[in-house]
Amino acid sequence: MSALRLVIQSTICGTNVLRCHEIFTARGIKRWVAPTLKELERRRKKLGPQPPPLRSSFVEWNYKAEWYSFGKRLHEEFNEHTLQRAFTHRSYIVKEEESQKEAGIENPELNLEDNQKLIVEGTNFMKKYIRNYVSLLLPKFPEEGIRAVCNYLLEDKMLAFISENIGTKDLILSSDVPPEEETLASTLKAVVGALIESSGEEKAGLFVRDFVVTQLVEKDVNDIWHPEDPFTTLTDIMRRDGREIPEPRLINETGRNTILSTYEVGVYSDKQFLGSGSGETIEVAKQLAAHNALRRLFKTTENMLPFSFKMNPYGEHVKPSIEHCSISEWKSKNVNC
Amino acid sequence: MSNNNLFLPVGFPRAPLANGVGRWICQLQRLTFKFCKNYPSSRGMREFLEFELLDFTKKNPGIVVYVKPRRHRAPNLTAEYLNGEKQIVDCRNFSYEEVKKWVSLLRSQSGRGTVRLLKMWHTDHPSIQGPWSPFVNRDPKLNWVEFPNEDLSQPIYIEKSATEKLIEIFEEQQRIERQPKQE
Repeated sequence: MSALRLVIQSTICGTNVLRCHEIFTARGIKRWVAPTLKELERRRKKLGPQPPPLRSSFVEWNYKAEWYSFGKRLHEEFNEHTLQRAFTHRSYIVKEEESQKEAGIENPELNLEDNQKLIVEGTNFMKKYIRNYVSLLLPKFPEEGIRAVCNYLLEDKMLAFISENIGTKDLILSSDVPPEEETLASTLKAVVGALIESSGEEKAGLFVRDFVVTQLVEKDVNDIWHPEDPFTTLTDIMRRDGREIPEPRLINETGRNTILSTYEVGVYSDKQFLGSGSGETIEVAKQLAAHNALRRLFKTTENMLPFSFKMNPYGEHVKPSIEHCSISEWKSKNVNC
Repeated sequence: MSNNNLFLPVGFPRAPLANGVGRWICQLQRLTFKFCKNYPSSRGMREFLEFELLDFTKKNPGIVVYVKPRRHRAPNLTAEYLNGEKQIVDCRNFSYEEVKKWVSLLRSQSGRGTVRLLKMWHTDHPSIQGPWSPFVNRDPKLNWVEFPNEDLSQPIYIEKSATEKLIEIFEEQQRIERQPKQE
C-alpha cells in the first residue's frame, strides 16, 4: 500500500525517476516477518500441545492485591494471613521443599503454613450448616432425601464449580497445575474455614448460604432423591397412618396397542385422591402416580413455592433443628410442623 | 442487513453461579491497562489513568487493576472474568471518554461473550399447571360413553345450507306479519 502511495506521489510531483529499491524497502510488512513466523510455528508444532500458562507467572501479577480483592469481591472481611493460608495446599509446600533440596539447600524453610486445619474446620461447619438449612427448606422430606440433597451440595463437582466461579483458580498454590476438581473443592472449604477464623461463624454461615445453598435454586429435589419403589413406599406410609392401602385406578387412556399409548393412573385411598401420573404402560403410570402422591405428602410438588434463601439459622429467630424420619418410619403425624 | 448473527452461539440470559440470588458479585476480576508512555495513540488511556483510575479502584475494590506500560505499541484493555473468559479491547486513538465508557462496559458485563439471545427472559418452568394433554379439562361424562357412538361421530358444527337460511328468513317474515298491528 505504502509502495503504491510512493508511486502515486512521485508521479504527481513530476519526479519520473523511481528507483527500484524504493518500492521494495517501502513494503508494509518486512521481508523477515514471514520466515520468522514460519520458524516459530515450526518450533511450536515440534514442542506439541503445552499447558495453558499460569496466570501467576505473568509480569502483571500481585498476590497481595489479589488476596485483598478476593475478599472485597465477596463482600467479606478476611484476615490476610489466614486467607493466604487457605490457598496454600500441603502438596505445594512439599513440592517447593523438594525443589529447594534439589537446588542444594539442606534445610529448606518456607515459612508457609498449609490449609489442612482450615479444610477440616470448613468441612465440619459446612456439613452442619447445610444440613440445618436444607432441613428448614424441606421440613417434611424424609431423612434419606435430606442427606442426598446435602451430599449433592457438598460433592466435589459442585464445590469445585462454585470455587472456580468465585475466582480461587488463579490464587491456589498447589502441585497440580491447573488445579484439579478436588483441590478446587477443598480450597472452598478452606476459605470457609478462614472466614470462620476471620469474621466468626454467623458471617461464614451467610457465605455458605449465599454461595453454596443457593445452588438449589430452580432445582427439583425429587430429581436429586426419590424412593426406589414409590408404590410400596406409599402403601407402607398409608398403613402406618392407619388409612386404607392405596388403590390405583385408570383415569384416562389413549392409543392402546400402539407405540404411542398413554395411560393416566390415579391413586386413591379411602376414596380420597392422592396423586396421578401418566406413562406409556399402566405399570409405569402407577409408579409415577405413587411418586406424585409422595411428592404431595412431602410437600415438594412441582408447583411449590420457590425456596427462600433469606433465612439465617444463626440469627435471632433460630428454629430448633428438625428431626427427620427415615422413609421406613415416615408418618404424616410424626412429622413436626 | 447481514446475517452474521445467525452463526453466533445461541442462548438465554443466565446469571452465572445464581448471581444475585444470595448476593451479587462483580464478574470482572482483573483489568489490565496496557499503554505506551509517549505514543499519541495512548493519549486517552493516559488521561484516564491520570484522572479516573484512583476513583475507579476505590469504587471497585473487588477488581484487581494492573497498569502495564509498554513501549511503542497500541494501547488495550484486557479484562479477565470469573468464568475464565478474557476480553481484549483495542483502544488505539481512543479519547478519554471512550476509554471510560469501555471500562464501564467491561465492569458491568458477565464475560459470557456474545450470544444471540433467543428470548429476553428464561424459565425452567414455563407452565405452573404442567403441559397440556388431551386429558386436561376433559368432560368426565365421556368416561361412561361406549364407542362407536353415533352422536359423538357427528361433526361438532354443521353450517346451515342456503335453503335452510331462506326458510328461516321466510318463517321470521311470517311471524312478524301474524303479529297484531299497533295503532
